[in-house]
Amino acid sequence: MAGKTIVVTSGKGGVGKTTSSANIGTALAMNGKKVCLIDADIGLRNLDVVMGLENRIVYDIVDVVENNCRLEQAMIRDKRYDGLYLLPAAQTRDKTSVTPFQMKELLDNLKEEMDYVIVDSPAGIEQGFKNAISGADRAIIVTTPEISAVRDADRIIGLLEAEGLRDPEVIINRIRADMVDRGDMMGIDDMIEILAIDLLGIVPEDEGIVVSTNKGEPIAINQKAKAGLAYRNIAKRIMGEDLPIMKLEKEGFLSKFKKLVGLS
Amino acid sequence: MSSVFSFQAVSDGIVMNFRSGSTFGSIKEAVSLHASQASDFFNGVNLYLNLSGLELAFEQLQSLMEIVQNYNRVNKIYFTAKEIKSENKETVPKSEAVIINRTLRSGQMVKNQANVVIVGDVNPGAEVIAGGDIIVFGRLRGVVHAGAGGNEAAQVAALRLDPTQLRIASFIARSPDDNHSSDLDPERAFIKNDSIMVEKI
Repeated sequence: MAGKTIVVTSGKGGVGKTTSSANIGTALAMNGKKVCLIDADIGLRNLDVVMGLENRIVYDIVDVVENNCRLEQAMIRDKRYDGLYLLPAAQTRDKTSVTPFQMKELLDNLKEEMDYVIVDSPAGIEQGFKNAISGADRAIIVTTPEISAVRDADRIIGLLEAEGLRDPEVIINRIRADMVDRGDMMGIDDMIEILAIDLLGIVPEDEGIVVSTNKGEPIAINQKAKAGLAYRNIAKRIMGEDLPIMKLEKEGFLSKFKKLVGLS
Repeated sequence: MSSVFSFQAVSDGIVMNFRSGSTFGSIKEAVSLHASQASDFFNGVNLYLNLSGLELAFEQLQSLMEIVQNYNRVNKIYFTAKEIKSENKETVPKSEAVIINRTLRSGQMVKNQANVVIVGDVNPGAEVIAGGDIIVFGRLRGVVHAGAGGNEAAQVAALRLDPTQLRIASFIARSPDDNHSSDLDPERAFIKNDSIMVEKI
């Protein structure tokens, strides 16, 4: 099996790289794919927490590249879904502990066993970013409807092109229909016009993300959440299905009422 | 540009050709003047001094080297005596341009001695610096500097002229704060009466 390596990156911090990585990986596994999530944010690991697997870490990515353990020993199997694995970052080391060459070698080995390898890139454009993108076949850029995030995304697209990673796709995260309608938030079209790359999906702002992150349960599992549906759709698009981008919906009276009485 | 010397762009730098038979005095004067006006244009550039056709004493060579080091942040300086072939005698003719066939994204920069044509957008955070004109077949939203060597006849044209900052020679302008629409509306900017003017094309 020769799978695909997908790097999830953004340039700017806090736009939802880790959340997106966790949910895309989970949603792919829900579709029966064999997936390994890799946390490339060495020294600031988070993906394990978001996945709720923190307490099962024994070895990490640095142990693997330094040959302290075998790759299989460091991979944590997620018990919720068959075929979902996590290779955690080291917390007590820094980005220089891994080189792009080692990363590429690791990914090349790993994707032999997997359908998809999802690499969660750190913020920034330095060594950690360079490690994360080396060996990737495909790139997903996460951005939010803010000028600073779009500017950084644009920079990242340029850097990816320079590394030979062409045609990245973008996920627009945390979008709010009401604010877009009022003209207080950049619309999807405005962002795509500047970035000029394909839109992989949009994820509406959802309070449920905070809850699911704190509980260590990716929101993709939650069948009721809008953001969960958004990530499941994104996963299907990654698998090659042609799904329309979800319509942005304003919170109507009914759903507000439902929330008030606790139905939704 | 002085007729004592001329520039020619090569893949990894710029060649400085001297008119054969020029006196050292005229070379010294012309180069010192040019170096003092060139600002940061030679930043990171390799400079090749083509000495063919010149007869210089060792002291004169030393003195020439000191002068060319006045080019701000020039990368490396080489001497050469090769005849560098060029179809045009004038090395930075008005018709010469580099064509960039893609969108320039944030953090990317294009620098050219002559003109620059971009077929694509210039996004915010990108920078274009040219000795001559800058033409953008797309939306111009980044920073551009035309006539960077001091050429006040240089102009900037774009299908949508909405730069973060627009410089021509030593003049600077920025776009009005309103009207950042993305509709195409070709315009060009140039210097007239010591200020930057914009007109529809």
